[in-house]
Amino acid sequence: MSLAARNALIALGITIALTATVAYTVNYLNRARVAELSAIEDKLSIDILSLDTQFSLLTAAPCDSVASSTTLTGELADLGTRLSYAESQLGSDNPQVIGLKDQYSLLEIRDYLITKQLAAACGTKPPVTVLYFYSNAGDCADCDKAGYALSYLRSTYPTLRVYSFDYNLDLGALKTLIAVTKVNDTLPAFVINSKHFYGFTSLEDLEKQFPKGSLATSTPKH
Amino acid sequence: MSPELFAYPFLFVAIFVESFILVTLLSKPARDARAREQGAATPSVAVIVPCWNEAATLGATCESLLALRYPKDKLEIFLVDDGSTDETAAAMARFAEHPQVRIIRKENGGKHTALNAAINATSAELVGCLDADSFVEPDALNHIVACFTDPHVAAATAAMSVHRPGNFLQHMQNAEYIFGITLRHSFASVNGLYVTPGPFSFYRRDVIEKLGGFRYGHQTEDMEMALRIQHAGYKIENAPRARVYTQAPETLSKLVKQRTRWTSGFLRNILGEYRGLVASRNHGALGMLVLPAALISIASGILLFSLTLVNLGQNALAAIDVRVGIPLSYSMLPHVALDWFYFPANVYALLGIATLAASVSLIAIGKRISRTPGNIAFDIVPYLILYVFVVPLWLITATSDVARGKRRGWRY
Repeated sequence: MSLAARNALIALGITIALTATVAYTVNYLNRARVAELSAIEDKLSIDILSLDTQFSLLTAAPCDSVASSTTLTGELADLGTRLSYAESQLGSDNPQVIGLKDQYSLLEIRDYLITKQLAAACGTKPPVTVLYFYSNAGDCADCDKAGYALSYLRSTYPTLRVYSFDYNLDLGALKTLIAVTKVNDTLPAFVINSKHFYGFTSLEDLEKQFPKGSLATSTPKH
Repeated sequence: MSPELFAYPFLFVAIFVESFILVTLLSKPARDARAREQGAATPSVAVIVPCWNEAATLGATCESLLALRYPKDKLEIFLVDDGSTDETAAAMARFAEHPQVRIIRKENGGKHTALNAAINATSAELVGCLDADSFVEPDALNHIVACFTDPHVAAATAAMSVHRPGNFLQHMQNAEYIFGITLRHSFASVNGLYVTPGPFSFYRRDVIEKLGGFRYGHQTEDMEMALRIQHAGYKIENAPRARVYTQAPETLSKLVKQRTRWTSGFLRNILGEYRGLVASRNHGALGMLVLPAALISIASGILLFSLTLVNLGQNALAAIDVRVGIPLSYSMLPHVALDWFYFPANVYALLGIATLAASVSLIAIGKRISRTPGNIAFDIVPYLILYVFVVPLWLITATSDVARGKRRGWRY
């Protein structure tokens, strides 16, 4: 065998080994991402269940001892960001992503319900809540814009609570939520403090749908 | 199907070629070449400096040749004025009385005719060329001459880098030239060179004459001659420590014009008269690996650039579209936490990074092998930032010229 042929074979071996290493690394990172998401969801699940249980145990004076769920909502938002990134990396049809989204949606619904129950039990003004329904099946041209506008609003108005749901997710609890809130499939769809709003044209139009004075900010808007 | 999938085969080939270069550098012929001492033999040598309007740099080029540490009675220098219209004749006149210098004046006929005129006028055993914008180290010729100990060697190339790179673009070219030192040194070890560049390549005169002298070669007479030498079954060697410095274009426009000429010359030679060399088992690494890889690199350069451009364009448009109407204080800032979770690891990006890392290693190796002076960091940074964006400019222009049969002037 000539020197060039021998070197070419070695080079081919190196190239295959390098490519395989890269493929393995990417796969490993993706698996680690899914594992981290799963761990966060497990922790949040326990936290929410704990909050829920505390709320049930102390029905007489829930507001005295139940910690605010604001922290949990913040963690839920971070989880949503991570899940969205994982979805962009792994694909929306990835079974693990779909499983995590199911679990995430359940957590969101639980948090939404507890927040409402706490406000009612404590007699406090409930926070402004947005149920946002989107689709990434290619049938919602404005969903990316709507999602980004909501991210901006959530960042600017810390008291605002945004719960995002993939309208097409095959999850019983989500289907029930959609049925209860009577949201139709014109996406993006928003339920802002029980008031429905469909489509997205601009940030200003979206802001007009919020109750007057509800968008109080702790930091200057501009 | 993702358009990125089209890029994978090209990235695979790029990594394969870089691996081949590295493996070949470690093999015995390359190690022997690096260990090669300057020989005791001092055959007669003629260095030809073809000039067409080179008044500005000719003097320094000639001075550097006269400073070569080589027996003066064995070295003659031919300054060939190929019908210059500037002060070249006056610049040459300074050396008219020098015993080693011979001046030839002729009608303008192109670089190949200038080289042939001097070859016809000398009886030196070895003839070399030095472009009038290049300068040599004093011991460069000794390194080159040592390559001709092997009787099968018909030509030898030097180690080129940029003469005093001034701006960002010239530093980028310096990195590229030093990468070329590694490439040439490695490919020479398996007789895979297909160009004997104008700056300080040498030939056995009898081989040149046997092959019929230099030709027009689609404005790349050095490449055409190298291909003819390979076609005739001779070897082309490389002297990695024969350092020569050449002036690099200082503007993007001049660089694109120069490289368009080189690339279209390569395509016309390879797809024309020397098509038979491609995929030819008889020509070993040159036929089976180097030339196919060079052709693939042109296609991949265009494809990867187009893909990157389309991807960047689409992402930029989508990002702008999503941000319309959102205050700049929010939309202009990144909102992703610094966390490993968001590390954009995909096979395409990581293979691209591996290719770039290997390129940087090859540049560092080239500098070390040739002992080229200067801080390489100043060259690598512009190389990494600029190179992938400028190369496609001449690849696309040259490919388009060849496809349409368009020919451009030498300096246009």
